[in-house]
Amino acid sequence: MDTTLPQRFLEQSVHSLKQVQQQTFQLNQQPFHQLNTYDQDPANLQLNRTPIQIKPNHQETTIAAIDTSTIKIGETSTGIIVAIRGATVWKQNRGYRYTRLGPFIFHITEENKKEVYNTLERAYFTTRYETSHFYTPSLLQMPTRLASLLERWLQTMIAKTVTNGLILLDGSLTSGTIDTPVYRMKDILDLARKNQNVILAFSKVTTLRTNGYLITDQLPSSETPYLLETSGLGLRPPTVLLGEIYVARLGKSNYAFRLDIDKEIEAQKRVEAVERLVGNDLYNQNYPETLRLSHILCTFTANEVLAMQHFITRKHGIRIINRPDMHRLLFGLFGKGEICA
Amino acid sequence: MKLYKKEGNIVQILCFPTENAEKGDYLMIEDSEAGKALIAQVIDVQFAAIPGVLEELLRTLPDGGEPIQGEDIDPMEIAPHITYIQDASLLICKIRATFQNDVLSPSSSWLPSRSQSLIRKLSIPLLLRLANVEGKLPIILGGTKDASLLTIDASTIDGTLNIITGKKGCGKSHLSKLLMVSLLGYGATVVVFDLNGEYSSLGFSADGKRNMYFDKIHALTPSQNFKVAVNQLHLNVVMGILIHALHLPGTSAREFRRMWKQLKDKGNLTLSSLGEAIRNLNCNQHVRDALSSRYHSLVNSGFFTDTPAEATLLEECLLKANDKGGALIVNLKNTSTIDRQIVVEYVLGKLVDSLSSWKLKAAFLFAEEAHLYLRETYWDDIVTRMRHFGLFTTFVTNQPDTIRENIYRQADNIFLFNFTNEHDLDVVSRAARVDAETVRSIARDLPPHHCLTLGRVVHDFPIVARVRTLDLKTMGETRLFFKNMN
Repeated sequence: MDTTLPQRFLEQSVHSLKQVQQQTFQLNQQPFHQLNTYDQDPANLQLNRTPIQIKPNHQETTIAAIDTSTIKIGETSTGIIVAIRGATVWKQNRGYRYTRLGPFIFHITEENKKEVYNTLERAYFTTRYETSHFYTPSLLQMPTRLASLLERWLQTMIAKTVTNGLILLDGSLTSGTIDTPVYRMKDILDLARKNQNVILAFSKVTTLRTNGYLITDQLPSSETPYLLETSGLGLRPPTVLLGEIYVARLGKSNYAFRLDIDKEIEAQKRVEAVERLVGNDLYNQNYPETLRLSHILCTFTANEVLAMQHFITRKHGIRIINRPDMHRLLFGLFGKGEICA
Repeated sequence: MKLYKKEGNIVQILCFPTENAEKGDYLMIEDSEAGKALIAQVIDVQFAAIPGVLEELLRTLPDGGEPIQGEDIDPMEIAPHITYIQDASLLICKIRATFQNDVLSPSSSWLPSRSQSLIRKLSIPLLLRLANVEGKLPIILGGTKDASLLTIDASTIDGTLNIITGKKGCGKSHLSKLLMVSLLGYGATVVVFDLNGEYSSLGFSADGKRNMYFDKIHALTPSQNFKVAVNQLHLNVVMGILIHALHLPGTSAREFRRMWKQLKDKGNLTLSSLGEAIRNLNCNQHVRDALSSRYHSLVNSGFFTDTPAEATLLEECLLKANDKGGALIVNLKNTSTIDRQIVVEYVLGKLVDSLSSWKLKAAFLFAEEAHLYLRETYWDDIVTRMRHFGLFTTFVTNQPDTIRENIYRQADNIFLFNFTNEHDLDVVSRAARVDAETVRSIARDLPPHHCLTLGRVVHDFPIVARVRTLDLKTMGETRLFFKNMN
């Protein structure tokens, strides 16, 4: 396994923290969520409400899931301190196993953000995409971009190492966005296909609507599990859809999710993949347990945030200060703080 | 350690895994700017309420219930910091005193600085020195957790009411013996109501040889080497026995008094003449029967005799003990309940006589399981009236609820061994010199032979100590059927 990227993550992390030594920092924790901000044209989107019945296939299949998480753990006078962690979970022989990578703590400033991002981008992906030009995200976008880099690397590693399995991703198979270039996503899908894997991407939240209603709210009362097919979603270039979009209701409870399955795989094989998924994984609120665990394992708990604050204070001599909350200061009880403002 | 919260006289201190503090430890919270320090004792150790710990624990459990297996690649080595935070504890401490200008005062009315206060452990020897616990008459009770000795001053037991209590087999009698021989060593007069015959052999060391206390210990076994000549008895002592131990009704008591005086005046006060007088008494049949049954109880006890040569002069023994220091061990083993009460009534009556007439300066009374032989009214007598006469009692019991609440309220010192029963702890926590939280929290976790010392002897700084062993033939060991079988 090529571990260049995690190594670079560590180097950049340590390097960035060294620059912040003996500074003070303001405690402020805030999780970042990756938002799908790409342009989509749902005008032509259609939902076929005739369900494709899923017959659970219990043939032993490896199921792997990947997720990453990032959190801002404080601010300095020149930038922000963020932590990033990734987790892969796989279900094999009726048991779940996981590998967690991180946390990596970065001090990101306007000065070093370009260096940090480009070094990491180059560390794993450039060798194969000489022509790509690096786009440096804004300071606020940096945490999600760095997490995205780690997530794509983990996805690549899983696509390479798992065979005849199902790979579950968090989100969609929409690419062509800043943090998910088309070639990179294609590359992951190709690698997976080469190893007889099928990639399935589950979106916890979708904005796709037909007839004014969310596609995940238009569930027929048929016997579960089932899939509903969609068609006609148009995306504005450069955004590209690399998967077929389904609505998946995998259990009896009334929850359904947008499910993207690799487009290059035959329609029948896609349904078979879902059948193997249903036959092999557990479901909590109709959501695959493997993916749920990967999310849970990479999420930062308050305890971990405290530990990381302790780490940077002890190891890097950063003094914690409590800068007054201006919202509170100005508006008293009516000031709800930055996050809710 | 960091000061977290103060509510009343309770402070909460955040303690990290590298800082070791346990229940019973003393901490000094120094506020250098204020120029004073709080002295607080840890009464409970809890997990600190760290946010996110529940999530941390829950996420390792999938739906199946078995912990999820996996590998954490943690290149920045954050995990030890997570553990460090997770294992942080919260010390619940009771403020015992304020230390200012080298003087301790029992105040908790000020608030030390949360950010600037320096918190450190206070060793027991230093605490004892600050509190001036050690005096001129040291009694080494045992060793504390930090390998120092807990030494109290014998004068702090003088004039006090003490209670030694704890679960069965945790070392109460052992401590009682330790206190007793220590007082003996300082020339005190000690009287022991020895319910199980454990104290009689304290004049011998463990290997059976005579020790320094041999000549000072006088074991008196009722009806054997402890008998009383009827003509040497004071009427009030006899009346005490008849009314309180044998429950003689008032009318019959009046008849007995009259009869006793007549016989005394005639110079014919013997057991047989007393029996004869009751038989010939011209009075109501019920009165005669009542007197007759009590008379036979006195005779059957074997404690009374008409032969002065057989009698032991308790007064003489007490006076001897008063001069040179000595212990009268009243062995109540193998004595029936009624006989026990007769003997105790007699001894206490004699003691009060000797003390009230100043023949005896003062005496220390050790009473094991006193509820088995002490009449109701004596409890109040002992803690109030008799104390003024100079009788200082130490109650030893494994049933704390057998001692009345007002006794606890007036107790000056409590030597508390392990109790797990909530009810027992509730009873003990009624003592005026004890706070309920300390008793409930510390006593429950005391290991065997460890004693929580509360009250005057430790200047109200509760201290846990392992009671030291004694080179004495204690005979307090429980007889076991399966002992030495393997």
